Amino acid sequence: MASILKVDTITGVSTAGSIAVTGEGNSTTTNLQQGLAKVWINFDGQSTIATRDSHNSSSISDDGTGQYTTSYTSNMASVSYAASGSHNRNGLSSTTFSNDSSWAATTSGIASITADSTNTGRDCDAVLISILGDLA
Amino acid sequence: MSTILVNTLTGTGNAGSIVVTGEGNSTTTNLQQGLAKQWGRINQDTPAILDSFNSSSLTDIGTGTHRFVFTNNMGNANYACSGMAQAEAVARGTQYTNSSNNSTSLVERIDIEDGGTRDAGNSATITCGDLA
Repeated sequence: MASILKVDTITGVSTAGSIAVTGEGNSTTTNLQQGLAKVWINFDGQSTIATRDSHNSSSISDDGTGQYTTSYTSNMASVSYAASGSHNRNGLSSTTFSNDSSWAATTSGIASITADSTNTGRDCDAVLISILGDLA
Repeated sequence: MSTILVNTLTGTGNAGSIVVTGEGNSTTTNLQQGLAKQWGRINQDTPAILDSFNSSSLTDIGTGTHRFVFTNNMGNANYACSGMAQAEAVARGTQYTNSSNNSTSLVERIDIEDGGTRDAGNSATITCGDLA
């Protein structure tokens, strides 16, 4: 029998920010809040940088060639979150996505760089970032 | 302790939008926007999908370059996908890039430092974004 819950807001009872969800194997549980991506963004990193689509991103800034900072609308609880990203190849011989050398992740944003094989920053027209971790 | 037994969650005001209180109990996030919409672990050598979610098929379109076709399409091409690939015996850098993404499929490509591409025995993609 189908069961449909129609609801606009979900909040934990014991702890507002913690709801258990039964896993796919029906034997363990996972955490709803911790399993959600807290930020994702797809932006154009060339010339006038521009966000194409995003979740929980208030702005992006151009910090130099291939260097960007993505700021969050709702902050993270700490800097110890997990960020991953990718980019289009953009005709370069080789590119890499990494956080910048100082791991400039804060609770309110993250700096990233797209660079070539000589570690020289290169602008890319598609920079894609996803972040999982705990919200403040 | 409070338990809800339910098979489907749907928003009331907007079917595709449900607010969830965050871990710190002070902010909220969005359930639908926070859910990964696709993931896949593949063997590019075979090629074969080892395990996946919302991936109907995989097509080999060149060395180190494979297209995932979604089961349920994305709302547009402006989603965020990222991934990793096994370095194997290749000492040069292995990079995950993507191109030619659209609402029905995405392309993952494994680049190596000299500018070529190579098939990876294991690679993975995670996609976040809005469903159609």
